[in-house]
Amino acid sequence: MFTVRDDEPDYAFLEKKQHKDKNQYGKLIELVEKSSALAGQSLNINNDPAVGDNPDRYKQHGFHFTADNCIACHACEAACSEKNDNPPHLSFRSVGYVEGGTYPAFKRLNISMACNHCDNPVCLKGCPTRAYTKFAEYGAVLQDPDICFGCGYCTWVCPYNAPQLDPIKGQVSKCNMCVDRLEVGLKPACVSACLGGALEFGVVENTPKNREQAKITLPGFPTNEITHPNIRFQQVKSLPREMTRTDSIPIKYHKDNKSKQYKPIVDTKKGLTRHWNLDKLHSREDPLVIFTLITQAVIGAFILLTGGSLLGIDPISQITQSKAYLPLLFGMLAIETFALVLSTMHLGKPHRFYRAFNNLRYSPVSREVAGVAVFFNCLAGHIFFTLLYGYFSTYTLLQTFAQLCAYLGIITGPIALYFMHKIYRIPARPYWNHWQVLTAFYGNMLTLGSILTAMVMLPFFRYDAAIYHPLLNITTLGIILGLTLETIGHIFHARDLRQQGGEGSASYYEQSTKFGYTWISRNILLILNLITVSVLSMLSITSLYIWYLVFISIILTAIVSRALFYVLVIPTTMPGAFFWKNKGFQEHARETGLANMPQVGVVPDTH
Amino acid sequence: MLFGRKKKNPIKIADKKVAEWKYTTCGYCSTGCSIEVGLNDQGTPVATRGVGSADVNRGKLCVKGIFEHELFKSKGRGNEPLIRQHIHNAYQKTSWEDALNTTANEIKRIQGTYGRDAFAIISTGQLMTEEFYTLGKLSRGVIGTNNYDGNTTLCMASAVSGYKRSFGSDGPPGCYDDFEHTECLMAFGSNLPEQHPIIFWRLKQALEKRSFPVIVVDPRVTMFSQMADMHLAITPGTDVVLLNALAHVIIDEGLADTDYIKNHTSGAETFEKLVAQYDPVTASKICGIDEDTIRNVARLYAKADAAMSIWTMGINQSTHGSDGVVGINNLNLITGNIGKEGGSSLSITGQCNAMGTREWSSCSGLPGYRVLENPEHRKEVADFWNIDPEFFPKQRGLFQTDIFPAIETGQIKGLWLIATNPMTSMPNTARIRKTLEKLEFLVVQDSYEDVETTQYAHVYFPAATWAEKEGCFTNTERRVNIVRKVTEPPANAKADLWIFNQMAKRFEQSAKMQFPETSAEVFNEMRQLSKGRLVDISGMDHDLIEQQRGIQWPYPTTQNDANSPADNPHHKQDKDNSRLYTDGRFQYADQKAKLISLPFIDNNEVPDQEYPFWLNTGRVVEHFHSRTKTGKIGNCNKFSPTPYMEINPDAALELGIEHMSYVRLVSRRGDAIVLAQLTQRVPHNMIFVPFHFHDCVNRLSLGLLDPHSRQPAFKQSAVRIEHVDQQEAAQLNVEMRNF
Repeated sequence: MFTVRDDEPDYAFLEKKQHKDKNQYGKLIELVEKSSALAGQSLNINNDPAVGDNPDRYKQHGFHFTADNCIACHACEAACSEKNDNPPHLSFRSVGYVEGGTYPAFKRLNISMACNHCDNPVCLKGCPTRAYTKFAEYGAVLQDPDICFGCGYCTWVCPYNAPQLDPIKGQVSKCNMCVDRLEVGLKPACVSACLGGALEFGVVENTPKNREQAKITLPGFPTNEITHPNIRFQQVKSLPREMTRTDSIPIKYHKDNKSKQYKPIVDTKKGLTRHWNLDKLHSREDPLVIFTLITQAVIGAFILLTGGSLLGIDPISQITQSKAYLPLLFGMLAIETFALVLSTMHLGKPHRFYRAFNNLRYSPVSREVAGVAVFFNCLAGHIFFTLLYGYFSTYTLLQTFAQLCAYLGIITGPIALYFMHKIYRIPARPYWNHWQVLTAFYGNMLTLGSILTAMVMLPFFRYDAAIYHPLLNITTLGIILGLTLETIGHIFHARDLRQQGGEGSASYYEQSTKFGYTWISRNILLILNLITVSVLSMLSITSLYIWYLVFISIILTAIVSRALFYVLVIPTTMPGAFFWKNKGFQEHARETGLANMPQVGVVPDTH
Repeated sequence: MLFGRKKKNPIKIADKKVAEWKYTTCGYCSTGCSIEVGLNDQGTPVATRGVGSADVNRGKLCVKGIFEHELFKSKGRGNEPLIRQHIHNAYQKTSWEDALNTTANEIKRIQGTYGRDAFAIISTGQLMTEEFYTLGKLSRGVIGTNNYDGNTTLCMASAVSGYKRSFGSDGPPGCYDDFEHTECLMAFGSNLPEQHPIIFWRLKQALEKRSFPVIVVDPRVTMFSQMADMHLAITPGTDVVLLNALAHVIIDEGLADTDYIKNHTSGAETFEKLVAQYDPVTASKICGIDEDTIRNVARLYAKADAAMSIWTMGINQSTHGSDGVVGINNLNLITGNIGKEGGSSLSITGQCNAMGTREWSSCSGLPGYRVLENPEHRKEVADFWNIDPEFFPKQRGLFQTDIFPAIETGQIKGLWLIATNPMTSMPNTARIRKTLEKLEFLVVQDSYEDVETTQYAHVYFPAATWAEKEGCFTNTERRVNIVRKVTEPPANAKADLWIFNQMAKRFEQSAKMQFPETSAEVFNEMRQLSKGRLVDISGMDHDLIEQQRGIQWPYPTTQNDANSPADNPHHKQDKDNSRLYTDGRFQYADQKAKLISLPFIDNNEVPDQEYPFWLNTGRVVEHFHSRTKTGKIGNCNKFSPTPYMEINPDAALELGIEHMSYVRLVSRRGDAIVLAQLTQRVPHNMIFVPFHFHDCVNRLSLGLLDPHSRQPAFKQSAVRIEHVDQQEAAQLNVEMRNF
């Protein structure tokens, strides 16, 4: 048990008072009955079997933050990092700010934020390894770094940037509510350290002493609708109509006349000039660019080949019966294996890859991985049985198995892609949370699958002096369909982003300025590719040189498009400060080498 | 478990396995927080926490204190003495014997060739009081140079000078408890939440219990300005005008405490005549605060039953610093707000032991608030030390800020720098570099061998830091608290007390004197010397100080056995020692405080066409002074790892300066590269740059000296802003940051 000092000051002890029955979202604050099997158990903190005697042990607890009082002294962050022994580049709690007005009528509103131990913990649901648990004790959402394999998906889904991915250790860790202190009746370390009278803690909805509000919103605080966070605010002093962020995120907060709430809107802080920024297309998610595109191409090609063959479509059957079929399938297996390895190595702890299936119940990541794994096995199985059937053609059962694998692959491939798309449908990432992801993924499946088939088989046919334009026609059809689907998605995506405000619009702003030329070029290329393919096909052009040029153009466009998809997303996070938790400064520190000093608090680029 | 896995692993929470907590006192600022350092079973310091039962901080610590245990193992610490012939040679490791002998010989050579005062000693506010006292004995009684001063000239000199001028002695008359009683608090040039977060917390606690008006005078919208009931956004360097105008209104409207003025002050008549010239209308044109506000504030302050003023560098670091302090004292004297609960002139001090050096280091005179100019004081101390009183100079020598110009002009040839870093902290870095280059001999004594002054040193003494040794600090409210030794210094680094004692041994004069080896013994000497002085500590000893978590002076010997006060922990004084001058009797011969007239002469370097921006400087909470300590502690440094300026977005727009881009600041002295942070915190014609960074703001600052305190005006200079190539500037910025 945590040791309570003899001279522990009064302010460090949790207040004991009446609590409400339900929270503002209508959920019971008493999490389990005292008679429940879940009650009376030890939290087993560092293997200590003791059970805390905190009388409010089974009530949902939460932070209370009086924003008017926060002075950004960093004591809460420091106390937290000191207790949890965190290195400078990690922090379970961070203070950022928004500011507004004109000198001297200027206001800075500091916001100290850690984990909100939400009613609906999206981190827990998103985590493929089930590293998260929401405890009946205090309603704490705790994460176990020993289970985590460092995919970072929880850091994507959390609207408050609470889980911290450590690129050095390759794992996530986060605020643990100081449950060890709660067990002995003490407030968390950050709260006990607060010097401004801003942070408080207790049973949620309880308004602390000398405070009168327990609001669920604050200017700069992301929407509470996604997760129903267990944090309450007081903010009574008047603020300017518009509050800006000092970090690089192009968002500011504007007071809505009717609701009196502050809404995030785009802050065109970097001007309206268009740039290329091709070098900034790189990101930590580069392996995912390759992984998603290859997987989509392979699934597309597999459906085209096996489906076409099963339907008896002539040029396809020709392929499946040719000598080139097995090498083509092996090639697909090889690149898909490469893609899977790449995505596995992208994990913080690749050797724990097998844990990806642990959360099929909630996590789209688990489901995607399962889907891709089944598809991969169908592909491998199809190859295996086709290969065997080639040697033992008398055993028709082998052919049946091969066909069975093909059927299964045709079904599970698109299902896998559906869950792949679900991964990105994250409310806290409005740029991704759009059906365009699905059209892009399925579009790419058709386009790239067709191109993959065509690029391998066309020269083969030609070498064999066979007629290849029927195959060209079929693949062209796939390409046109795929590109059309993708284009429609992009058009609606751009329109909806512009209209929705907030982080989505901010992404659109970066799309049209920071990556303006790149984005426009992508759009032009997309349309141009579509037109060229249609025209070439109408004119029955069969020159492989020309077609290859077009294919390469389509592939390049797809790569740029997917890279943009990853770099443009702006999550709904807490505002940062000028240096700390400022993405702009982090990039700058990495580029200039400032990050090579560990005390700068920015981890240098590892790839 | 509500959601998640059924079978749970044990919850893992970091356990630093603290086996023992050791009591000590924070070594950063002057708030004087009691700290416990946690040691694991190998004796390695692994944790820090505030002491719950300590009255000052009541369990709290600021960001710097929370990570203070990381100091011991931080990068750049000095492990071995270093030596070299010329400053262009590389350093060689050497023995203490050699380093000390070389230094002693160089001191003797320089003094023999050029005179005793040609060797100067500049100390600090960072050492323990016992070390200060020993250094004073060494400098004044053995080496015998009159050019001996502390870097407190950069922070507290104006407060000292102002206190002496008004009350006849140094010593802040109030305490933190005054927040609990005051009915109006006025803060001048103090950003309490950032500079002294724990004192701010004490104020905030008082405000939670009982609301009273807080008025903040600051040209910048700091968090304190923003939280205040009234923010007076003053024109830099014009506080004296505001203070005169406040006094004008108070006297003019008959709000002054005439009884107090009559009984306890002198000089009222001339004072009243002078302030008569500063009517609110005239004053408002100079200080930028409108006449109505001046009247409002004056009435509020004067009508409050108890009103107090606090101030920090906004007042002290100005050419009118001493006058500013006197002006604040005037305000409190005419309203009868000295020595009463909630009524005070409380200077919030800077370094952890700035007070200790003021009291005991003999920098500005002799120990125990004695002065060289007083023959009795000289005799008392000379007799106590067993030296000839004639060995003492009869007048104080050069201030720290005058020692550098004296090196420049060739009067001083040798220098001993102790725990101070003029390469970062002194104004006009280029001039300081030239100055240090001229020295025939420079010895640097510091805990860090990467402190920038070692670039110009011939000998380097690696010193122990903070709780690697034992001794006392005095805080802002005159509370003497003890730093207990928590861990050993690294490798061959030694406690400053040991270094001073070893140095003393190398001079003949010391043979007949006492240089006790332990700080407890030194403290006993100081107790004896303090008897009957304002700064009476004769009732304290190290153990009693720890037991009570710090004791405020005056604390004379009482009915209890003075030789071992700790034997009786219940020993209480007959008199409350939280405040000075409660009886209205001051340290002047007539026992009256002086009301001093303060005519205002505007000698600031004000912005003009060529240099259109005020350059304002100041601190940030995560850093301490020249960043030698905090620059290496990632969990502090990360909040501002590289220099920046705050600039008004409207001014930035006109100049085409973007947020988070580099600019080059140019003044009449030099230039500096900083990142631009656009914020309405500062007015259109002002930029603010934190002073902590080496090769940054002090390449620009003028640092005109205050005529009384010789403190530089760090906060009032003029600069212009130039565009720079972003990549080159970024490169340069990286090159200039070794930590």
